[in-house]
Amino acid sequence: MTTVSDPSQRILELAAVLDFRAAAPLTESLLAMRGTALTIDASRVERIGGQCLQVLLSAQQTWSADETALSFTNMTPGFVEGLRLLGFSEADFTREEMPE
Amino acid sequence: MSATILTVDDSRTMREMLKLALTQAGYKVIQAEDGVHGLEVLKSETPRVIVTDINMPRMDGFGFIEHVRADDTYRGIPILVLTTESDAEKKDRARRAGATGWIIKPFDPAKLIDAIRRVSA
Amino acid sequence: MDAMAAVKQTFFQECEEQLAELETGLLAMERGEAESDTVNAVFRAVHSIKGGAGAFSLEDLVQFAHVFETTLDHVRNGALEPTADVMGVMLRAADLLADLVAAARDGLSVDSGRSEVLVTELTALSPGGVGADTEEEDDLSDFSFTPVTVAFDFSDAPADAGRSYTITFKPRPELYAKGNETALVLRELERLGQMETSCDASALPQLAELDPEGAYLEWTIRLTTEKGEDAIREVFEFVEWDSSLTIQASDADADVDSGAGSTEDAFAALLRSIQGDETALPTATAEIIPLPLAEEREAVVEVEAQPAKASAARNGSGGANANANAAAPQTIRADLERVDRLIDLVGELVINQAMLSQRVMEAGHVPGSAVALGLDELEHLTREIQDCVMAIRAQAVKSVFQRIPRLVREVASMTGKQVRLITDGEGTEVDKTVIDRLNDPLTHMIRNAIDHGLEKPEVRIAAGKPAEGVVRLSAMHRSGRIVIEVADDGAGINRARVKAIAAEKGLIAADAALSDEEIDNLIFLPGFSTASEVSNISGRGVGMDVVKRSIQGLGGRLSITSRPGKGSTFTMSLPLTLAVLDGMVVTVADQTLVVPLTAIIETLQPKPADVHGLGGGARVIAIRDTFTPLIDVGRELGFRNTATDPLVAVAILVETEGGRRSALLVDTIQGQRQVVIKSLESNYRHVPGIAAATILGDGRVALIIDVDTVIANSQSDATILEPVLAAAG
Repeated sequence: MTTVSDPSQRILELAAVLDFRAAAPLTESLLAMRGTALTIDASRVERIGGQCLQVLLSAQQTWSADETALSFTNMTPGFVEGLRLLGFSEADFTREEMPE
Repeated sequence: MSATILTVDDSRTMREMLKLALTQAGYKVIQAEDGVHGLEVLKSETPRVIVTDINMPRMDGFGFIEHVRADDTYRGIPILVLTTESDAEKKDRARRAGATGWIIKPFDPAKLIDAIRRVSA
Repeated sequence: MDAMAAVKQTFFQECEEQLAELETGLLAMERGEAESDTVNAVFRAVHSIKGGAGAFSLEDLVQFAHVFETTLDHVRNGALEPTADVMGVMLRAADLLADLVAAARDGLSVDSGRSEVLVTELTALSPGGVGADTEEEDDLSDFSFTPVTVAFDFSDAPADAGRSYTITFKPRPELYAKGNETALVLRELERLGQMETSCDASALPQLAELDPEGAYLEWTIRLTTEKGEDAIREVFEFVEWDSSLTIQASDADADVDSGAGSTEDAFAALLRSIQGDETALPTATAEIIPLPLAEEREAVVEVEAQPAKASAARNGSGGANANANAAAPQTIRADLERVDRLIDLVGELVINQAMLSQRVMEAGHVPGSAVALGLDELEHLTREIQDCVMAIRAQAVKSVFQRIPRLVREVASMTGKQVRLITDGEGTEVDKTVIDRLNDPLTHMIRNAIDHGLEKPEVRIAAGKPAEGVVRLSAMHRSGRIVIEVADDGAGINRARVKAIAAEKGLIAADAALSDEEIDNLIFLPGFSTASEVSNISGRGVGMDVVKRSIQGLGGRLSITSRPGKGSTFTMSLPLTLAVLDGMVVTVADQTLVVPLTAIIETLQPKPADVHGLGGGARVIAIRDTFTPLIDVGRELGFRNTATDPLVAVAILVETEGGRRSALLVDTIQGQRQVVIKSLESNYRHVPGIAAATILGDGRVALIIDVDTVIANSQSDATILEPVLAAAG
């Protein structure tokens, strides 16, 4: 887990509905935060679809390649259920992408 | 969860039937009588799913779907068309116009609810 | 169940509208006036009936509508020329469709021979011949969906517990763009049984290169289900065109890796084996190939042309909308019950306002005082509101007129006459209560005009007229009433014959001197038309007297004008509504009653010399040398047992069925007033002699006299009156 004391630490709060329409805005938000350690807050998520999943997975890859920290917090049941349906588990998103 | 469904059909019988089935399943229903009317309704309402007939006056189902798909405001709204079993061609055209799925006539409430569940969360 | 019955009712209502639309359209096509909109509307009418019938499993109706629709589709796409012969078949098909609808509604069956004949005729018209389907499948078969009923061998029953399937699923971007969602597909799939899902994200680019609306993931699903492959395929039904999909059943022994190791690896191995050698496995694949782009584009163009073609004229399919032409006015459809409730409330308002006026006068405010002036304004407004509310219920007579062409065709073919129907003023509006009761009298009048009015073609030609007779049906508003005329250009009333028949039947004295008009009106006398004349067309055992009576029952009048050799015109005039009524308020034995003004001819004060007893309590009164039955309303309705003294009472001369007159004896007359009609039957029960009730300004309930019934009852009490009447002429 990244620490809150990290000055470059930023938080992105996910939208409630991560459907087809949410994919492009989500990508933009993430790209805008590239290069900084990021915590993605899933506390509002009610559901997530295939394309937003792609964006989040791609972000994980990207942050990992950038050797920057990316983590998820406050995963709601809706978020976890969406991941499960799409073949992922909570664990896939809680593991530390980049050990400090 | 009371999601709104927009039904577009020129037949009053079908509109009533759809409304009956949908409200019984807990959906809120808004109605339009043809494609033109449907587009008008969409200006003020954002339904979770649209159910539309194909053969309608003024603007038919294909035209309606294309208009909806061409407008970024309505991106991603699932559209189900009402069509008959034998109509592979209609299904095909609807699909190419951008329909999400279809409901086979003769109308069966269970199939309708099933189809809606398949395209909406 | 109740709600479904209500929908079924709507269906039949809508069928009526569609049938009318169908007929109007077919007639326009027959006249060669059809535009593509008309043809589309005609097609849609049949299509719509078929659709609804399907939902209610009305098989006869569905089947016939389907054949009809198929033939119409050929006309619509230009493959079949709408010649006179073709249109003849179409019109008869429309008639049969109407009968099938009626049969379905009433739970009856239609002579299957009739439908077989028409099915044969319709099918014969189809260019493709027997059973040719509607769709232009040839043009599309190249890239239309080839059914993926994959040759799975399910001989060992699909439902054996827990067959395993391996499914690979790779969406394309279009899948999402069309509103489908992988997560939802997988959720549906999971409902079928036990499922394990893995996702291959190896094709996923870094965020900067990612198209957010692209599709990079591929899923592999291991599903164990009791349902068959069809059930799985159904889950992917909406998305299979927009994805790459494979479904494989694996037999229990083919279950490569049922314990140790990662399932993903096992699946990958399985997949490789499949891709390497498809025939090696006892399974089949249905790889879905993307559509060629060119065809996709072509199809889009075709679709875009559609709205333009199907534009304009949204024919107000029934309802209160009188305008059938373009730019349909904005309408709302309201529950009739709500409108009626509103009318009731406005009625209450009118009564309340009248009561208030009365109180104000009683309190000593003189007319012209500020309060009285304010009340006048209130009254004015109230009336205006009432008019507006009544207008909501107004409907164009079109809905009734639309049924007439078929009737004309039927009667014409039964009588061997050639008839052209001209209608006029079908947009004329009248209250729904009147519309609902217009059909029967109108049907009789039209039948009568063709059967008795028009001559046979040869007779017409001999008389120097065209072989084709004309029946003109028109509606108009005239002095606050609706006037409907049925005019024919036939021979006119044969007065000598009518007079002879009337004399023969004892309806008039043989030597009675009657004006032409009086002779013409003899046909309305009860008993004028006899069995020998009642053909099965105009008669059905019903004479014009019954028609006249039913029109009078609506507060209307029926009259005839005729010119020998030129034809006859029947004119029916009706009130615009049956919800309010102009009446004369009278008192009888302390009861307040209302006599409909339409029935009243005059009121008079009986003089001692004019009243004659006939024994049995029956009396007549001499009015200008004519003896008229005097009916004691108080006794007739059972308000009192003793006879009213005519000398302290008032006689109201009313005209009844067949134009006969009677005098109603009442105690006093209070005045004339417009009253709101309240049904007694819905609030209480039917009372003989009473048509309805109303509430007066002072809050009292007043009964509205059913003049016809009161008189009919009194005459059955005292049949002795008949000879007197005959003598009086």
